[in-house]
Amino acid sequence: MLKFLKQVGDYAKETVQAAKYIGQGLAVTFDHMQRRPVTVQYPYEKLIPSERFRGRIHFEFDKCISCEVCVRVCPIYLPVVDWEFNPATKKKQLSHYSIDFGVCIFCGNCVEYCPTNCLSMTEEYELAVYDRHELNYDSVALGRLPYKVTDDPMVTALREFLYLPKGVMEPHNLPADARRAGQRPEEILAQDVAQDLAQEEK
Amino acid sequence: MDQGIDLQQTFIQSLMDLGLPAGAAKTVWMPLPMLLMIIGATVGVLVSVWLERKISAAVQQRVGPEFIGPLGVLAPVADGLKLIFKEDTVPAKADPLLFTLGPVIVVIPVFLSYLIVPFGQNLIVTNVGMGVFVWIALSSVVPIGLLMSGYASNNKYALLGGLRAAAQSISYEIPLALAVMAIVLMSNSLSTIDIVNQQSGYGILGWNIWRQPIGFVVFWIAALAECERIPFDLPEAEEELVAGYQTEYSGMKFALFYLGSYVNLVLSALMVAVLYLGGWELPIPTALIANWLGVSETNAWLEIVGASLGITMTLLKAYFLVFTAILLRWTVPRVRIDQLLNLGWKFLLPISLVNLLITAALKTAFPGAFGG
Repeated sequence: MLKFLKQVGDYAKETVQAAKYIGQGLAVTFDHMQRRPVTVQYPYEKLIPSERFRGRIHFEFDKCISCEVCVRVCPIYLPVVDWEFNPATKKKQLSHYSIDFGVCIFCGNCVEYCPTNCLSMTEEYELAVYDRHELNYDSVALGRLPYKVTDDPMVTALREFLYLPKGVMEPHNLPADARRAGQRPEEILAQDVAQDLAQEEK
Repeated sequence: MDQGIDLQQTFIQSLMDLGLPAGAAKTVWMPLPMLLMIIGATVGVLVSVWLERKISAAVQQRVGPEFIGPLGVLAPVADGLKLIFKEDTVPAKADPLLFTLGPVIVVIPVFLSYLIVPFGQNLIVTNVGMGVFVWIALSSVVPIGLLMSGYASNNKYALLGGLRAAAQSISYEIPLALAVMAIVLMSNSLSTIDIVNQQSGYGILGWNIWRQPIGFVVFWIAALAECERIPFDLPEAEEELVAGYQTEYSGMKFALFYLGSYVNLVLSALMVAVLYLGGWELPIPTALIANWLGVSETNAWLEIVGASLGITMTLLKAYFLVFTAILLRWTVPRVRIDQLLNLGWKFLLPISLVNLLITAALKTAFPGAFGG
């Protein structure tokens, strides 16, 4: 009889505990309801891509020396470099350059290895087209300056989480000069230079 | 208890004054409340679908439907329209008759149950003496439809889903009925009107929830299980069964299931409001308000205001419960089938039986407080 009563008591205790936990869970979900949505309302709001963002590749025609390093480091030998040897100047004359972004995986190897820095990554990522061949960018299309979120008057540009000031979780209504947490790259660079100078003096 | 406004009597009387015989006048009246209730139930579904989407979004820190009408209120209408225009397919080796009949059998009893939902002393389609029992009887027709559609789909997932739905509905109907029985014991009547009247007089203090707290919890859990909402949505558990008995359905037939599940949710919330939260009663007794205002309780405008307030109160209570159901959906994970049956048979059933016994004992001991 006592054993049975103990069983009943234990069961009741467990039930109360379960009810308590469900109550705690409800409190959490209820609390979430009054928080501001974390979603970015895409066509009206856009995140500012980070500085290491690997978007559409920009190409500067005049800087290119047609060395074809970009082709050799590309996983699929994607860039098409069309050049001709010019006997008069004894240099390669570039006539066409193209990258098909429908095939490109945006690994950034070409940008990394380009000896004259004529390739660079942009923050452009809206590459949707109706026909995939439209993604085959020639040197003119590659030379276009990228679309910038911050320059678009129709778009509210929002900072990514990493670029918010310390303790701030909300990109809306930030003052324009709000500093992000931690040091900026140029500050780290200045610090390194100063350190190197100090070491040289020693 | 005064009778309040009686639309039926007034309507029939005015028609008879116009020269119609009594029978004809009553026939003209009869379809009106039914039609109103069907429209009301459908609008209630639209509202609760919208609430579901908006509250779910808020809980997950999203925005939810925003551009389909102001604040996305037209989103459920758009959903419905889409389903109406979709192709209505029947699988090649399915039983076309049972396949079509399934969703119909699921939906009709749910809509029929609105017969006994009161929104005021005379604001009810029909005051059946068997009130709540009609609801329980009708809700046990639903699993037949679910099983039928699951079996007729000629699909393993659908069959499993249908079987699960039947098992779940049958095992949770018992604690549900026992919880209702305790209420019935206290109010000495199965009629929903009598049940609400028994709770009236003391405002919020007179509501059954204070006398039947265990019954309230048992009833709400069992009602959620009957509606197949998350913690208990096993019949359509998408990770295991694709969509359960709904797997093969599309277009209008799927829309019937969808409609039925939400009508059932609103209906269950309304029944909880009627059985445990004092139905159309205000938290402050009407007699007290009439006293404060210094007017008679039978004052004409007070009765009109009271009736509209009563409808608002019933809906408010019901939608508060719908809100808790939606919040629960994002709080509690789905139970396993064995846990579901354990909860039903080993927890809710004994608890509701004990609750019934205690209620009976309290009724004999304190007939004044527990309905003599």
